[in-house]
Amino acid sequence: MKFRTLFFKELREMLSAQTILVMVISVFVLAFAGKAMSKAVEDNAETMMDLTICDRDDTEFTRNMLKFLRSNLAQLDGEVTVIDVTTDDYAAELKKADAKSVIIIPEGFTESVQNSEPATVKFVQRLSSLATFSNLNTGSQVAVEYLSAAVKDVVFSAKVAGGKLTNTEVSFLNDPIHLEESTVVADKSEDISASIVMSLCSAQNMVVPIMMFVLVMMSSNMILNAVSTEKIDKTLETLLSAPISRLSVIAAKMLSAAVVAAMQAAVYMIGARSMMNGVLDNVSGDTGYSEAMKNLGLTMDAGQYVMVGIQMFLSILIALSISLVLGVLARDSKSAQTLTLPIMMFTMIPYMLSMFVDIRTMSPMVKYFVYAIPFSHAFMASENAMFGNTALYIGGLIYQTIFLAVCMFIALRIFMSDRIFTMTLGGKKKVNL
Amino acid sequence: MENEKVLEVRGLSKQYKKGVYASEKVTFDVHKGEIFALIGPNGAGKTTTIRMISTLLQATEGDAVISGHSILTEPENVRRCITYLPDEAGAYKNMKGIDYLKFMAELYADNKQQAEEYVKTGREICELGDRLNDKIASYSRGMQRKLLLARAIMSKPDLAILDEPTSGLDIINALEIRRMIRSLARDGMSFLLSSHNMLEIEYVSDRVGIIAQGHLLETGTPRELISKYRADNLEDVFELVVMRKELKEGKA
Repeated sequence: MKFRTLFFKELREMLSAQTILVMVISVFVLAFAGKAMSKAVEDNAETMMDLTICDRDDTEFTRNMLKFLRSNLAQLDGEVTVIDVTTDDYAAELKKADAKSVIIIPEGFTESVQNSEPATVKFVQRLSSLATFSNLNTGSQVAVEYLSAAVKDVVFSAKVAGGKLTNTEVSFLNDPIHLEESTVVADKSEDISASIVMSLCSAQNMVVPIMMFVLVMMSSNMILNAVSTEKIDKTLETLLSAPISRLSVIAAKMLSAAVVAAMQAAVYMIGARSMMNGVLDNVSGDTGYSEAMKNLGLTMDAGQYVMVGIQMFLSILIALSISLVLGVLARDSKSAQTLTLPIMMFTMIPYMLSMFVDIRTMSPMVKYFVYAIPFSHAFMASENAMFGNTALYIGGLIYQTIFLAVCMFIALRIFMSDRIFTMTLGGKKKVNL
Repeated sequence: MENEKVLEVRGLSKQYKKGVYASEKVTFDVHKGEIFALIGPNGAGKTTTIRMISTLLQATEGDAVISGHSILTEPENVRRCITYLPDEAGAYKNMKGIDYLKFMAELYADNKQQAEEYVKTGREICELGDRLNDKIASYSRGMQRKLLLARAIMSKPDLAILDEPTSGLDIINALEIRRMIRSLARDGMSFLLSSHNMLEIEYVSDRVGIIAQGHLLETGTPRELISKYRADNLEDVFELVVMRKELKEGKA
C-alpha cells in the first residue's frame, strides 16, 4: 500500500505534461521523417531493377545475354538501357548518359566465356550522396547476379542441350563473372567499390551529425538555462538595473555560450578526426583505400573542415539566439526544459533525414521545408563540401546568416523592452504589480 | 535630511492593457538623505512604480528624474545613480559570496580601486566573515539577503531602491538592517523602500506614500498621517485610507 502510494507519486512527477509532450512530438517527428524518407526510397525502388549497360564486346553471345536480361527484368518492372561509353572518363560518360551506374562489358568478354575463364565486367557507379537510401538501386552485387544469371542461361542453352558441359565449364559457371569496380564522385573517378566508399564515408562522417546535434542541444540548453535562471532567480532584474547596457548583457551571454560551443566543437572535431583516422588506417591499411578516398575528394581537407565549421558555428549561434528568446518565456525550471523542445525537434528532423536520404532528391515541399530549418545546412555541410555542391552550400550560408540576423533582432527587441519581464510561456503576460 | 531632491516622480503611469493601469499618475519626491517608503497591498502598483524608476520597465506616461537624469531619456545615467534590490531577489548560486560582491562592484565602479573599495564596504555591511568564501548555494535565506543588501548599498548610490528589504531576515538581522539604513541616510544616502510591514516602515521611514490600485493616495511622515487620521499606528492609517478610497468608488 505504502509502496503503491510512493510509486504513483513518483510516476506522476516523472510523467509530467512536458514528458508526454516530448513523446508525442517525437512520434510526429519520426512519422514525418519516415514519410519523407519513404518517398525517396520509393523513387529509388522504382529504378532499382533498371540496368544501364555498355556492350563493348558486341557479339551474338552478349546480344543474347542482353536479350535474356531484358526479358527477365521486364518481369520485375526493370529496364535495360544500352549506352555507349567511349572513354575512360566515367564521370563525364555517366553525366552524358544521365545514368547513376553502368555495367561495361569489355571486348573479349565472349572469348573468356568460351574459354571458361571468368569474364571481366566493369561496374561504374556514381555517388551523388552518402545517405544510406540514396544508392539503393545501383549495387554491384545486383549487377553481378543479373549478369551471372544471363551468362549461365546463354551457356546452358548453347552447351547443356548438346551434353557438352565439361568439369571446367561447370566450375566456371559457379562464378562466371569477375567484377572490376569504379566509383564516380562529382567529376572524379577511382577504381574502388562504391559499397566500400559508402562504408568508409559513413564511418568517417557519422561523427559530424552526432556532434552537430549534441552541440546545438548543449549550447541551447546553456543559454536557455542562463536566461531562464536569471529570470526565475530574479538576478536578471539586478543585472539590468546595473549601469550596463542590455546589449552588453545579451552580447556577453551569447559570446560566452558561443565560445564554449566553439571550444566544444573544436575538441570534438579534433577527437573525431583522430578517431576516424585511426579507424580508416586500420580499415584501409595497405589496400590503397585511403588514397582512393582522397582522390575522390571524400576525405575533408582543412578548407572543407573550415566550411563545415562555419555552418556549424552559425547553427550554434542561431540556436543560441532562439534560446535567448525562449529563455525569456520560462516561468520555472520545468517550463525551461519544455522550451528546448522546438530546437530539439527542428534539429532531429534534418539529423535523421540527412542520415538516410539525399535531401536534394526529396519532394519539393519536403525539401524546401527541410531547407527552411536553419540547422539542416550544417548537417548537409560536409556532403556539400565533399561533393562540390557549392551553390547549395553558399545558399545555405546566406540563409543561415539572414536567419541569425532576424533572430538576433527579435532577441534584442525583447531584451530592450518590458517583454523581458512580462513574457511567459503561452504568450500570456505575467505582471507583478 | 536635506532639501535637495534626489528623485522627482511626476505623473508616472504604466498601462499594460488599454484602460488597465498598474500605476497611474504617481507623483512624489525623495530628498537627499531621506527614507521614503511606498506601502500598499499586493497588486497595488508598488513594484511597477519601483521598476519604472529603476529603468526596468518603460513608463507609459510621466517621468522620473534621478539626480538630474530622466528615466526616459537617460536610463544609463540613471542606473549609475541607483541600486535596486528586488523583492525575493536571488544571487548567482554557483558563485562564492565574495566573488558576487566583486562581480557587482566591477559593474558599478569606474576603476579597479573603486571596485576594491566597494567590496571592502560590502564585506563590512554583510558581516558574513569567512562565509563569504563559501558558495552562495550554501547560504541561508537570511545570509543571502544580507549579501544582496550589502551589494545594493556598498556603492553608496544617490538612491537605493529596496523592495521588501528585510524579507526573510530574523528579528535581530532585520533590526540591524533598519539601523544600517537609518545610519546611511544620516550620511546622505537616499532610500526608496517598499514594504508590507507597516511597523517596520513606521520605524524606519521619514515619509511614506500609501498606494492602492495604482494610485498614490497619501504621502506624509508617519506621525503626520497618524495624526491626520487620528489613528493609533500606520497600519490603521493604511486601512482607513484604503477603505475611504473603496467607499468613494462604491466598493465597500
